[in-house]
Amino acid sequence: MLDLARLKWDGAHVAPIAVSLLIVAAVTALLFVAGPLLDLDHAAFGYLIPVLIAATRWGVTPAIISGLAGLAASAFFFYPPIYDIRVTNPAHIADLILFVVVAVVTGQLANSVREHVNAARQREEEMQALYFFSRRLAVASSPADIHAAIQDHVSAITGCRVALFAAGAGHSPPETSPQWPHMPKPIQRAIVDILDGTSNGHEAPLFDRKTGASWLIRTLSQRNAPVGIKAIELGRVSRQSIDAIRRRVDTALAEATATLERIDVAHALGEARVRSEAETLREALIGSVSHELRTPLASILGSTSVLSQAPGVAQDARLASLVEVIRDETERLSNDIQNLLDASRISSAGVHAHLAWTEPPDIVNAALARLHRRLEAHRIEPLLAGDLPLVRVDAVLIEQALSQIIDNAAKYSPPGSTIIIAARAVDATVEIAVSDEGPGLIGDEATRLFERFYRGPRHQAAVKGSGLGLWIARAFIVASGGQLEAASKGAGEGTTVTVRLPAPSADASENGDA
Amino acid sequence: MRKPALVVLVVDDEVQIRRFLRAGFELQDFAVQEAATGAEGIRAATLKPIDLVIVDLELPDMDGAEIVERLRAWSKVPIIVLSVRASEEEKVRLLELGADDYVVKPFGMAELLARARAALRRQVPGQQGDPIVRAGPLTIDLATRTVSLDGRPVGLSPKEYRLLQVLAQHAGNVVTHVHLLREVWGRAHSDDAHYLRIFVRKLRQKIEKDPTQPRILTTELGVGYRLSVDIG
Repeated sequence: MLDLARLKWDGAHVAPIAVSLLIVAAVTALLFVAGPLLDLDHAAFGYLIPVLIAATRWGVTPAIISGLAGLAASAFFFYPPIYDIRVTNPAHIADLILFVVVAVVTGQLANSVREHVNAARQREEEMQALYFFSRRLAVASSPADIHAAIQDHVSAITGCRVALFAAGAGHSPPETSPQWPHMPKPIQRAIVDILDGTSNGHEAPLFDRKTGASWLIRTLSQRNAPVGIKAIELGRVSRQSIDAIRRRVDTALAEATATLERIDVAHALGEARVRSEAETLREALIGSVSHELRTPLASILGSTSVLSQAPGVAQDARLASLVEVIRDETERLSNDIQNLLDASRISSAGVHAHLAWTEPPDIVNAALARLHRRLEAHRIEPLLAGDLPLVRVDAVLIEQALSQIIDNAAKYSPPGSTIIIAARAVDATVEIAVSDEGPGLIGDEATRLFERFYRGPRHQAAVKGSGLGLWIARAFIVASGGQLEAASKGAGEGTTVTVRLPAPSADASENGDA
Repeated sequence: MRKPALVVLVVDDEVQIRRFLRAGFELQDFAVQEAATGAEGIRAATLKPIDLVIVDLELPDMDGAEIVERLRAWSKVPIIVLSVRASEEEKVRLLELGADDYVVKPFGMAELLARARAALRRQVPGQQGDPIVRAGPLTIDLATRTVSLDGRPVGLSPKEYRLLQVLAQHAGNVVTHVHLLREVWGRAHSDDAHYLRIFVRKLRQKIEKDPTQPRILTTELGVGYRLSVDIG
């Protein structure tokens, strides 16, 4: 149909019309010269040539203008009265009407062919661009690659400028974005809102009043979290073309999102593999250290225990004390290695507590039995209430923790001093407090005591240690659902380390009737 | 006249451990046989009469559980396992499979000998068995079902006595929680550890001088209880 509303008089349309009119003029000249020679009766049909050319090359408007010009030229130059726009002969009028009909029909046909060809060409270009985009996405190995690909692709298919803003921690606000120094304020605000999470994005294009340009803002998300924002400056365009652009941009972003997720999964898998390899290595190392170091130590300790019983050694006090030195030092070494292994186990695998009902005194007694020799120089005073509730803990871990604490008390307090180990029930817990008569705690020592590798600066030279013991103790106690704290009245006033263990009331507690 | 020496079979892949065990046992008049692998150990146990087996938990060719299981298939020989720390579940498993006791590396010879003697005592003397078990001041007569402390009779409830009886039957060796629960309360209660703790506490109040520092009925954390017979 003839759609006069689509006639536009801007530069892009004037040239084809001018050319069409030139062709009409040329045809007129040709017919004017050749007409008398050939004795043409239906000169109007010569004007089908410009109509067809205009319809196939430039579309409907130039074709209509060519047709009208041809009609006018025929009437003026070739149909009597000559040099008069009027046509009087009915046969000639029929001729011209026929011309108009043929011109309109062929013009329409030619125009639709042209449109089909154009659409096919555009589709091919789009396919080409999409294919190129897909290939870039396929080889992308990082989000940065994907963002660059989107940027290029979207600007290629829209012919517009595209800016990307990375979302997430450490994003840069648009005004400082080097990509786009002159972004209008409302657009910047919209992007900041999305980055801050106060807005979910804008489905409709934004219109900037000042510049008259439309903007599309699209969020690129990954697992429902925005990873980037695309701002596309569309310029002054019609609503229809904005919709078309928006559809194409959204298709591209959907594809990019899928790729982002694929990369993320691949990345996570890769990381998991590296982590598990590191884990395996560490496990292997721990395993071999534990075997390679503990086995010889077990041999040494076992051998000294045999030696100390051997008649020749047992009867000679000097030899016996030498064997004792070997035994004590080896035991210390063995403990240090055990601490390293425990520490490494805690940080690599975490602690898995096997909770079971336990008599609190059993834990204290086991710790005292383990430390028996190391506590020989101190007076140990256990003050255990007789009716303590059972605690529900990993008894083995708690005993190791308590041993560390008691051993620490002995290490840092003078020989001959007293270490009190008091246990009492407080609410739904059992408190075991280890108090020594040592140098006490000053400053932030009470809190820093349980840090890994922390050693009080006052004692570093005087007392051997790795700074691991209390850190391990804390990890073991926490794993059982317990708490640990240290307190001191000050320098020289001794230290009390308190362990709190959960003692939930058990329904079964009095059911075991005899 | 000395009775013939008891034979100890030491199964451990570490030659240094075997050396000190040999020295330690020979000093106490045991005869020692050595094996470096589980297969070798089982073969040695079938070839000659063995009185006691000491077996390492980590052997190159088979794990501790397998060797205990295979020995127990045909032999009642006392078995003591050399274990490492932080493997309570493994210890319990081995005890359930029939091992008599364990010591944790590193260990002293005195500790191992005490365990070994306790395990041997159950097996060796006059097969009718001595019905009297002594643990420090405590005397348990398994024949008359009487218990006395420093010569004075101790009144125990039937369940308390049963608990003490099971421990006395393994005097000196550890008895697992599960085993005690099964023997005293029956199979259905083998998970009710809480019962056991309460009864142990009651029993300790009757037989221990200081129940908070028991010397007779001692605890093996995470594993079980032991009736300690060699109280200094």
